[in-house]
Amino acid sequence: MAAIIQTEDLQKRFGREVMALDGVTISVEEGEYVTVTGRSGSGKSTLLNIIGCLDQPTGGTVRIAGATVDYTNQHQLVDLRRTRLGFVFQHFSLISGMTASENVEYPLIFSGVPKTERKKRAMEMLELVGILDRADHLPGELSGGQQQRVAISRALVANPSLVLADEPTGNLDSTTGGEIISLMKSINDESGTTFLIVTHEPGIWIGTDQTIHLADGRLVA
Amino acid sequence: MVRLSDVATVSFRQVTRKRLRFLLTMLGIAIGVAAVVGVVSLGEGVRTLSVEMIKDQSDLTLLEVNADIRDGVMIPITGQKIGEIERDPAIAGAVPSQRITYATERQTFISALDAAYSGFESVFTPTYLDGRGVQTGTEEVVFGYDLAETLRRYEGIRIGDRFTLLLRDYDEEGRPADIRQEFILVGVLRERGDELDLLMITDSGRTEGPFDSVFVRVESPDMVFPVVERVNGLGLASHGAFEQIRAVNQLFDIIVMVLSGFTGISLVIGALMIMNTMIISVFERTREIGISMAIGASSGDILRLILSECLFIGIAGGILGNLLGVAFAGVINSVGRNFVIAELGAGFSGFAGADIVMVTPEILLIGMVIAIVLSLLSGIYPALKAARLHPADAIRSL
Repeated sequence: MAAIIQTEDLQKRFGREVMALDGVTISVEEGEYVTVTGRSGSGKSTLLNIIGCLDQPTGGTVRIAGATVDYTNQHQLVDLRRTRLGFVFQHFSLISGMTASENVEYPLIFSGVPKTERKKRAMEMLELVGILDRADHLPGELSGGQQQRVAISRALVANPSLVLADEPTGNLDSTTGGEIISLMKSINDESGTTFLIVTHEPGIWIGTDQTIHLADGRLVA
Repeated sequence: MVRLSDVATVSFRQVTRKRLRFLLTMLGIAIGVAAVVGVVSLGEGVRTLSVEMIKDQSDLTLLEVNADIRDGVMIPITGQKIGEIERDPAIAGAVPSQRITYATERQTFISALDAAYSGFESVFTPTYLDGRGVQTGTEEVVFGYDLAETLRRYEGIRIGDRFTLLLRDYDEEGRPADIRQEFILVGVLRERGDELDLLMITDSGRTEGPFDSVFVRVESPDMVFPVVERVNGLGLASHGAFEQIRAVNQLFDIIVMVLSGFTGISLVIGALMIMNTMIISVFERTREIGISMAIGASSGDILRLILSECLFIGIAGGILGNLLGVAFAGVINSVGRNFVIAELGAGFSGFAGADIVMVTPEILLIGMVIAIVLSLLSGIYPALKAARLHPADAIRSL
């Protein structure tokens, strides 16, 4: 199997003092289900943001699907975010004025996908996560778990090869959190989409192909 | 690349999410547009009424063409230039003339116009209170109405009378040596209300120059300004009622511009309101913008979305502003008309039955363009601010 993510001596420094990432080298294979763990401030989210082309490293390289990411090339970054990457955030990540299905469609707007095609794909995704009946509800009318299901649909709608999830269960009770985790795991099993999940909840580690532990910006064996 | 229809849909949803804020912001620009539409309509209305009044009260299609003086040198009216004027298709008639000043033996000065009488009739279409027109190359003369009154009263000259006028001349040593000329009065013109009332018309039969003026009758009022352009292009100077219209237009250009400048202040306030609203809106949506970027929006997409929101505010503000402007113009018309007539005096009583405001499609179009352009300009800074957000930082913000 080919590596979907490879980082080499990745560094991220904030100001003069804070070293959020300090020489992180990882490799994630296509189709893997990977968790990134560590305490608050260990650099997990920074790693996720850099791999997700939302933030720029101060040193080292990132390769996504074999291609080196040029963080000065906005065009490449936008293109990667549109075609290769899907994001699930911790909370408040849906656009409040849009219905569930419109939120799922939203990324496809930026790729210029026609409306009927967008609608069709959004419905498929909502069906996949089991909340098709909530398609016309606004985020405020959905429970936390349902909102995260919509967010997962949105992350998957452009058919990305890699989904990056930052504390996806952080705002949910443990039962709902468990449901979201098993949903992501089953999608990973069925579609082969690579998942990189940042978490500090030990329960999520179970069943992962690889667990990356971070402490003070470094890998911990 | 985002489709334009999708940009429109998404930004329209954004704008209408906060309805009251949108309404108030739009109202800001609409009031500015309404003020401009109202004031410009008033300016245009009074301008049009004034021009109509000049057209009604004066003989617009009559021009007097004189030799032009440029750099102190008089450019004479040659036969060739007269020929060119006569050939102009928009000119119905032209008569070259010479002005001569005579005096009666009692020293009443008389201004005479010597012109081919057939040409004079074609340009002035005179009607007679008494008598008839003159025959070419004779001593016969026709008096204008006022002149006839004056000479009848003070000199006793009546139709059919033969009388002597003096033409001031000088001998070889420079002493006055007046030439005496005999004339017969054969006709008196009806009162016209123009310069002709004071003139004596003769026809000496002279066909060669020099002539100091040519009277021109233009086919229709619409053709006056083009004819003036062409005649002036020959190195001649045109005079007539059109000059009043030109002066009125220039005056109103200035008045409308100055008044628009004042109302422009309200537009500036409207624009600042939009900028303020959009800056707040971008600030409130920082995280949402960051998420949009994470899921595929480029900086350009964000810029287009925000500017498109401003476009909606501009279009809505323009439409509402025009509606308010038309209403404002209606109020000015009904409330202000009597005031304007009272201020301008009896000469403007012609305004009584007419509208003093004139809302034209052009004014409404200008109102719309102002609203849209100002909204977009006000949106540039907030849109750039949004487009330059750093996605990771934006997502972190709450």
